[in-house]
Amino acid sequence: MLELSNLSVSYGAIEAVNSVSFTAQPGSITALIGANGAGKSSLLKTISGLVIPKQGRVILDGQDLALIKPHERARLGIAHALEGRRIFHQHTVEENLITAWHFRHPKGDFKRAQEQVYSNFPILAERRRAKAGTLSGGQQQMLILSMATLHEPQVVLLDEPSLGLAPIIISQIYDFIRGYAQEGGRIVLISEQMASLALKVADHGHVLRHGALVQSGTAEQLSGAGLASAYLS
Amino acid sequence: MDFFLQMIFSGLSVGAVYALIALGLNLTFWTTRVLNFGQGSVLMIAAMLTAVMIGSGLNMLLAILISLAVAGAVLIISEIVAIRPLLKVSGSMGWVVSTLGLGIFLQGVASLAFGTQAVAFPDVLFSSSASVQLFGAWVSMQYIAVFMISVLIVGLMELFLRYSTWGYGVRAVAHDPDLASLMGIPVRKVVLYSFMFSGLLAGVAGILVSQISGTVDPGFGLHLLILAFIAAVVGGMGSATGALIAGLALGVLEKLIAGYYSPAAAHMVAFVLLVAVLAIRPQGLLGKKEMVKV
Repeated sequence: MLELSNLSVSYGAIEAVNSVSFTAQPGSITALIGANGAGKSSLLKTISGLVIPKQGRVILDGQDLALIKPHERARLGIAHALEGRRIFHQHTVEENLITAWHFRHPKGDFKRAQEQVYSNFPILAERRRAKAGTLSGGQQQMLILSMATLHEPQVVLLDEPSLGLAPIIISQIYDFIRGYAQEGGRIVLISEQMASLALKVADHGHVLRHGALVQSGTAEQLSGAGLASAYLS
Repeated sequence: MDFFLQMIFSGLSVGAVYALIALGLNLTFWTTRVLNFGQGSVLMIAAMLTAVMIGSGLNMLLAILISLAVAGAVLIISEIVAIRPLLKVSGSMGWVVSTLGLGIFLQGVASLAFGTQAVAFPDVLFSSSASVQLFGAWVSMQYIAVFMISVLIVGLMELFLRYSTWGYGVRAVAHDPDLASLMGIPVRKVVLYSFMFSGLLAGVAGILVSQISGTVDPGFGLHLLILAFIAAVVGGMGSATGALIAGLALGVLEKLIAGYYSPAAAHMVAFVLLVAVLAIRPQGLLGKKEMVKV
C-alpha cells in the first residue's frame, strides 16, 4: 500500500502541493486529475524522490521513504515515467532498455524482459536499432512505459501518458497499463488533464486544484460528478 | 623528407596528449555541463610532483602513482567544494569563476612549494636519447611511447563509455540526470567518478607531455588546456574518437607550422582552424546534433 500523508511541496514562495493525503491500494489504478499547474507532477515527483516535500510523508508498505534517494527508490520498485517524452534520445531503443534495466538491480533475465517488451509492442522490436529521438510520439510513449515497467516494479507513476497522442495509441497504452496493474497486484498512479480519459481506466480518482485535494472518490462517482469546477479558477 | 617526418611524428605525439586532456574535459562536461578551466593546473601539479619526488630520490613508479592519486583527489575535492554547491542554482555560471579559481589556486600552491622556476623532468619512459628509425627518419622512443599510451587510453575510454554498463550510466547522466536517477543510476556517484577519472587523465597527460617537453613549471598547463579545448570542441564535445582525431590533426599542424614557418604562428593557425571547422560543422567533426522530437 502506498500512503501519502499531509504532503506539501513548495518551490521558493510558490506553493505547488498543499497538505495532500491519500492511499493507493495494490491492484488498482489511481488517477490524479487537474488542470495544468494543479500540482500533479510535483506530487508524483515527491513519491519518486525527485522533489523533497516541505512537509508530510510518503510511506510504502509501512516504510517511510523520506531518507531514500531517487535511485534507491527506483531499486525498491518505484518507477516514474516523466511527462514530456523523457527518454535517452541519442541512444537506440535497445540501449534505452539496457540502461533502464541494469542499474535497478533487477532479478531475472534481461533477454526475457526485452522479449516481453517486444511482444507487448511489436513496433519497438522493428525499431530496436533506431535512435529513440527518431521514434514517433506514440512509439516513444511505448518505450517510456516499457522502460518504467521493465523490471516489474510494484509502484508505477505515469505523468500525462496520453499527452499529444492519437486516440488509437492512447487506448493501446491504457490497455497495457490496465493489464499491468491487475497482473501482479501493482499500484499505478496516472496524472491526466483529460479527466474522462483517466477515469475510464482508473479505479479511484483525486481531483487537484491549486495544489490541494478538492474531490476524491471512485472513478464512477467522479465521472458522474461535474468536474468542470476543477478546471476553473 | 626526414625533417617533415620528424615533425609529423612529434606532432602525433603531442596531439595524442591533447586528445587525452580533451577527454578529461569531456568527461566532466558530460556529467555536469561544467568546463573545468582548472584542468591545466591539475596536470601541471601531477607533473611537478612527479619531477620533484623523483628528484628527491623516490622510486619512479611510486612517484607517478602518488601524483596520479593526488590529481584524482584534487578533482574530487574541487567537485565537492567548488562545483557542486554552485550547480544547485540552475543557470548559475559560478563554475566559470570557481574552476578558474581552482587553476590559479593550484598554480599558486605549486609556485610556493616548488618555486616558479622550471624543473627538469626526469626520463620515466626510455631515455631521451633512445630512438628508432621509422620510414627513414629517426624518432625518439619517448615520442612513440607517449603516442601509444595516449591512444591506448583514449581507445579504452571510448570502449568503456560505449559498451560497459557504467558507460551507459555516464551517457545517461549526461543526457538527463533526473531520468537517469529514476532508472536507478546513482547520479552523484557517477559525477564523482567522472571527476576522479578526469583528474587521472589529466595526471597521465601532464606526465606524458612533460616527458616530451623535458621541463615543467607552474605556468605550463594553460596553453595545453587551450589546445585541448580546441581538440574537444573541434572533435565534437561528447566524442572521444573525435577528440583523438582533432587532437592529432592539431598536433601535426602545430609542429609543421612551427617547423616550416614560425613557432609563433602555430597557435594562431590552430585558432583559425577552430573557427573554420566550427563555421562548417558547429557540432564539431564527430559531434552529434541533439535530436529532439517534439
